Amino acid sequence: MGGFLQAHFDDENATRRQLSEAKMKLPVSRRRLLIGSAAMAVGYVALSTSPAFPAAPAAAASGEALNAKFMRLSNLLINHRLSPAVGARIAEGAAADHKDMAAMMDQIIAIAEQKQARVVEDFFEDIPAGPAKEFAHWVIFAWYSGVSSPKPDAKVFTFEEALTFQTTSDVVTIPSYGLSGPNLWSQATVPLSQMPRF
Amino acid sequence: MVTKNNAEVVVIGTGVVGVLIAEQLLDAGISVLMLEAGPRVSRAEIVENFRNAPLGLKGDTSVSYPPAPWAPHPTGPTGGAHDYLQLSGPDSYAQTYIRYAGGSTWHWAGTSWRLTPEDMRLKSLYGVGRDWAFDYDTLDPFYTRAEYKLGICGPSNPEQQWPRRARLKPYPMPPLPFSPGETRFTQIVKELGYNNIPVSQARNSGMPYDDRPACCANNNCVPVCPVGAKYDAATALGRLEAKGAKILADAVVYKVETNGQNRIEAVHYLDPNKQSHRVAGKLFVIAANGLETPKLLLMSKDDRNPNGIANRSDQVGRNMMDHPQLTLTVTTKEPFWSGVGPVVNSGIMETSQGAFRSEHAGAYFRYNNFARNRFVTFAALKKGLVGKALDEEIRRMTACTADIVAAHEILPHPDNRLTLSDKTDWLGLPKPSIHYDVGDYVRRSAEVYSLPIGKKIAAAMGATDVKISPKFAQSKHIMGGTIMGADAMNSVVDTDCRSHDHDNLFLPGGGAMASTACGNSTITMAALALRSADAIVSQMKGAH
Ligand SMILES: Cc1cc2nc3c(=O)[nH]c(=O)nc-3n(C[C@H](O)[C@H](O)[C@H](O)COP(=O)(O)OP(=O)(O)OC[C@H]3O[C@@H](n4cnc5c(N)ncnc54)[C@H](O)[C@@H]3O)c2cc1C
Ligand code: SF4
Repeated sequence: MGGFLQAHFDDENATRRQLSEAKMKLPVSRRRLLIGSAAMAVGYVALSTSPAFPAAPAAAASGEALNAKFMRLSNLLINHRLSPAVGARIAEGAAADHKDMAAMMDQIIAIAEQKQARVVEDFFEDIPAGPAKEFAHWVIFAWYSGVSSPKPDAKVFTFEEALTFQTTSDVVTIPSYGLSGPNLWSQATVPLSQMPRF
Repeated sequence: MVTKNNAEVVVIGTGVVGVLIAEQLLDAGISVLMLEAGPRVSRAEIVENFRNAPLGLKGDTSVSYPPAPWAPHPTGPTGGAHDYLQLSGPDSYAQTYIRYAGGSTWHWAGTSWRLTPEDMRLKSLYGVGRDWAFDYDTLDPFYTRAEYKLGICGPSNPEQQWPRRARLKPYPMPPLPFSPGETRFTQIVKELGYNNIPVSQARNSGMPYDDRPACCANNNCVPVCPVGAKYDAATALGRLEAKGAKILADAVVYKVETNGQNRIEAVHYLDPNKQSHRVAGKLFVIAANGLETPKLLLMSKDDRNPNGIANRSDQVGRNMMDHPQLTLTVTTKEPFWSGVGPVVNSGIMETSQGAFRSEHAGAYFRYNNFARNRFVTFAALKKGLVGKALDEEIRRMTACTADIVAAHEILPHPDNRLTLSDKTDWLGLPKPSIHYDVGDYVRRSAEVYSLPIGKKIAAAMGATDVKISPKFAQSKHIMGGTIMGADAMNSVVDTDCRSHDHDNLFLPGGGAMASTACGNSTITMAALALRSADAIVSQMKGAH
């Protein structure tokens, strides 16, 4: 195909550009992977009340520290396994829009720790109304919808890993990802109560 | 201006209509040059565009298809060509279509309802609209051929077929399985006396067909089937080239040239560098869709044809039609679950027929089978829930909401008209301007017929809430602008879709349709294309 479409996207499809930049800027280092999986284990298995990263490596780039803290926060706000790669993209998007993000994260994490929270329900009510609470809602929004806002110019963090699809993964297709083999998708209805584990 | 003359037949447009005709001609040993306004784009790129689009934009089918500057097609507000169609009148003829090689079937749903014999005789039976210039039996063999060409799956049980009359041949493939929501919907409407039957659809069911794989339930037929299990005309382009077709992409035809005998001598196109080229040929087919074809004819007016090409009748661009639709979004207590299998998979067709058609339009009802997460996620999040409550709310809203669509027929009316706007596009060509009013025939149907039925269905589904779209939306089935008829004074093409005014010009497709019925009409366009192709072959072989 001609160069036009590429140029067109580069000029006009900001989403696409941001996505590819995000990919380029975020090579997954071994350490990041380890930190990510540590955060994941903490978040999913125990939601430990002890600080997840008591001794973040002193040499860690501030971006990495931010990501780690963001994953810690996300694991407190969402009771599911979270992808560090998606988290890194959301963190970057959040940092661009919220200058005081680090302080808000500290505030929310402190409240959760103080409540010895195991799930979000344990502490969410205690976050005072205001910017920190709005930020907490936004973080949840981003993970569930995969985008920064409902608007057409939203940043895209993920499509197929957006948590909305996980809530219905036992029945509903993630559009464009095949569900089954040829004509093998007849299935009886399933009750609402059987929430998939994710 | 360069003159190129390297084919006997020049086909404008590589959509389903152009592609079907081109292949018939190639098979008959006739050389074909295809001129395509838009770029040639890979399926992978279109799928990537869809996946990378923000969730809030995924419902806009044009998002996966950013238009080329030289070949604009209508887009949503952020797509750059929102105002390509200049719309006026009480209703909005807001169409979408795709100007890429392969055309608009890139993002069609593949629903392929045939007309019924009655649909083609509205004037004689009900005193409204127009009769077709031939009957159903004339079209029947072409329907069958079109179904085999596109690969249509459908039921073998005659009770479940549409129309309910003996078929010349069975469907090439069996129907596809229903989603839980479709199964439940079928049971519920049955209790009301309606049959929700498997739709005949252009999708490979249970087997590969036409060198394309079997459908595997990606639920993304609109805007693009990622694997090509749904027929789209782009899947045929390589095969056509292997058979000898020359396909020129990025070639925007802007003028049809006549000679002293008022036959078509050549067409002219602009390339992306705004350079003009002239292409001569013996016979010309304009298959640029029901909207761009009449636009091109009007743009090409000359001294011999002051109203535009093929327009002695003044009917070019008039009688613009579609299937005006209303959607009932219902919230139910029990889960229905859409989003397994194709996006449209069944429908109630019998409500399109009846003596009432002398008074108001019929309607066809369908249960949309789109995965609903994209429609409900923002609303669920807006409730401010977290944790388990949020998960449960998204799951409930995905399972317990559904869209029921009532699609109406519309009558041809000369004032529903496409003209040339004084606004121009990137190449400096006039934008299409369309005045549209669905008319009392449709409005009355909504009032006394379709919405009452829709509400009855919603109630039977156990709806706790029903939201009805406040205005008629378009179904994107563009019809009527080059209408067919026996009388050259009030129609544009004859029964072969040949222009009454120029015997080497064919204008096949939706523009020729004299009535719309209620069902999606591309299969009828395809049947008309094959009928045209036969006529072109015999004309080129000297039989005409
Ligand atoms: C979202 C959506 C869903 C749909 N679902 C269904 C469905 O389920 N069932 C159904 O029956 N129909 C459906 N349709 C309608 C269907 O897509 C069209 O009826 C069908 O594609 C028309 O075929 P065509 O070949 O006439 O035109 P198109 O497919 O539009 O092809 C026309 C071609 O001509 C080219 N062209 C235009 N202008 C020029 C020019 N000046 N010079 C050179 N080339 C030009 C275009 O680029 C294009 O390639 C749907 C449409 C949409 C938008
Ligand atoms: S359901 Fe999936 S595989 Fe089947 S036609 Fe639609 S998009 Fe293609």
